[in-house]
Amino acid sequence: MSGPRTIIHFLSILILLLWSAVLLYFHLSGRVAAYLPPDGIFRQMVLISGIGLAVVALFNLFTTNAEDAGCEAHGCDHDHSHDHQDCCGHHHGHNHGPEGESGHTHHEGCGHDHDHGHSHGHHDGCGHDHDHGHHHDHDHDHSSHDHSHGILAESSWPGRIAALLVLSAPLTWAAFQSPDRYSANAITNKGLYNPNYNDTSNADKFTLRTETAETKAERPKPNVTPQPTAPLPPPAQFSQPDAVVKASPKAPEKAQSYGSFTLEDLKKQVPQSKEGNFILEVPEIYYTAGDAEVQKAITGQPVETTAQVLPEKVNNADGHRLRVFRMLVQCCAADARPYSVPVDFGKKAPEFKDMTWVKVVGTMTYKKEGDQMVPIIEATKIEETTAPADAMIY
Amino acid sequence: MFLLAALPEPSRIGDVLMAFLSILFEGAPYIMIGTVLSGMIAAFLDSKLLDRVLPKNRVVATFTAGFLGLVFPVCECAVVPVIRRLVQKGLPVSCAVTYMLSAPIMNPIVAISTLTAFKEFQLVKGFGDLGNATMTLSRLSLGYLVAVIVGLIVLRFRPSQILQAKVVEGISAPLPQDAPPAPAKNFNAKLVHAMRTAMGDFLDTAMYFTIGVIITSVFNTQVNQSILDTVASSEWMALPAIMGLAMVLSLCSTSDAFIAAPMAAFSMAAKLAFLVFGPMMDIKLLFMYSAVFKRRVVMALLIGLFILIGCLSEPWMIVIQKLATK
Repeated sequence: MSGPRTIIHFLSILILLLWSAVLLYFHLSGRVAAYLPPDGIFRQMVLISGIGLAVVALFNLFTTNAEDAGCEAHGCDHDHSHDHQDCCGHHHGHNHGPEGESGHTHHEGCGHDHDHGHSHGHHDGCGHDHDHGHHHDHDHDHSSHDHSHGILAESSWPGRIAALLVLSAPLTWAAFQSPDRYSANAITNKGLYNPNYNDTSNADKFTLRTETAETKAERPKPNVTPQPTAPLPPPAQFSQPDAVVKASPKAPEKAQSYGSFTLEDLKKQVPQSKEGNFILEVPEIYYTAGDAEVQKAITGQPVETTAQVLPEKVNNADGHRLRVFRMLVQCCAADARPYSVPVDFGKKAPEFKDMTWVKVVGTMTYKKEGDQMVPIIEATKIEETTAPADAMIY
Repeated sequence: MFLLAALPEPSRIGDVLMAFLSILFEGAPYIMIGTVLSGMIAAFLDSKLLDRVLPKNRVVATFTAGFLGLVFPVCECAVVPVIRRLVQKGLPVSCAVTYMLSAPIMNPIVAISTLTAFKEFQLVKGFGDLGNATMTLSRLSLGYLVAVIVGLIVLRFRPSQILQAKVVEGISAPLPQDAPPAPAKNFNAKLVHAMRTAMGDFLDTAMYFTIGVIITSVFNTQVNQSILDTVASSEWMALPAIMGLAMVLSLCSTSDAFIAAPMAAFSMAAKLAFLVFGPMMDIKLLFMYSAVFKRRVVMALLIGLFILIGCLSEPWMIVIQKLATK
């Protein structure tokens, strides 16, 4: 291998090892938990690709001087230093006929060798080719047999350096500087203050109806078919969210009815703290607003939830409210969406640092605000607490 | 659990980095698989094989290529490096484009994830009521249709009008009848070639992928997403808005159904547009495509797919809904 090719070869290996190291580090340190959901194969794929990239990189490292079948045919070892200096040797690539009737007259492997002879021989006399210049606008000095080596092998040095930077800088920066959680700004942008409590699209995952005490302890995996237990609403209502949802901007005037649900059901299906508070996740509270019977059963009941807190910016002229939320992830942290409910203190709300994890205890009430039935926790107690193991709900 | 250092405090930049990493973790494994595959194709696939397997008639071949995803299921990150190698091994560009556009949709993994996300598993008890899987059916069929239409259009052009010059130059010309047989290369040398190609292709693809993911993550965390809800409620803006969203979210086709299903504000037809347009065109693909296709072609593809899918998804959804058993 000639000089520049060897440098590119080793730089490529380094970049591959960098990607592999980041993937492996995030998987082995467990930090991947903040980025990808536990179900499916997302997290395992990070490990597999980390190993895979390392294997490819090390293979290439140990075979640096080995014979390359692609090169054998096209004579890689004595090419690039010439190709990148002169401007000839490419013009044959532009005489193609219609698809399939390629204008190449040389056959595989041979034409290229011929080409080299050509470029050596006419090193000084290739100005005519350069004048046409039609293949220089792609910022590549393409060689005639580059099809095995990609952008790093083809570009000029400024192009190569730019490519190397794109491949290494953002990844390294992110690996060192990603906080593994979002700021209040991102959570606001992702819709913290635009909840739609009439929405039923994810409702079957969080409805109190489908969860028995046992499954509650071990949260059902997302996207699993809900167990059709006794009070399950007719499947059609959930399976075709559009039926309910199409009108959602204008919103159904009151919550939908899905059949009977009593306080007894609630007690059976939701775990209670020793004080008798129903322990619920924010998305579960969120979706009670869309279900008339659940709403009726839970109104006035004591509930307890752990969530993060931000100032309330909707219907909060008197400053009595805070907003608590949890982030729900479908496939990766980029699609995380906040599910939030207001907490009302009836007096000036206490102050918390943005994003603090709190445990809220209070009584469930529902108020019509705007065109929505809003679930509100009338707080009796709020205290700072530690973050749960999984900050995001998957 | 071990950490290199204390995690930094959340910040606007931190938000972008977090979204960036999460999409990268989701996509990088598939890019790796795709590029190792493309390396293997470059080194081991005999270009005469494709000639023999594919129907001689180009139009028939294009229709066939639309189904290849069922046999070689790949998502859109993996397919780009693969088709580049296949073209160089003699696959007609029209077939390559059709395969590229349809494989990320017309593939069993995507069918299962769409069935799951739209909760259509329960509705299909047997072949008789297959029509109840409205979204899955319409997604796969519309994806196939659009891919074949684009492939047939590509048939009218020469490879050099479509592909980057460097890709065209790599196309191995068919051997003339009287040519001496190529010298048999040994396996080790081929493997070296495959791995070197895989490495080069990974870096190529990963570079464009990185640029696309950066743009996506900035939009994803720095722009208030509620602007989308406002347009979603407008009858005329819903389709362009949701395709615009697919564009900037740059989701993987194996998981995008899980994002689309809970989008309360949008109609089924709009979600269909999202699920067909997204795997064919988004910001990361825009950059990845430009490694293979001429810039003009990529722009034409962007505009063409936008219009085609925008026009077809509404009537297509109505047609498929007619199939559903009452």
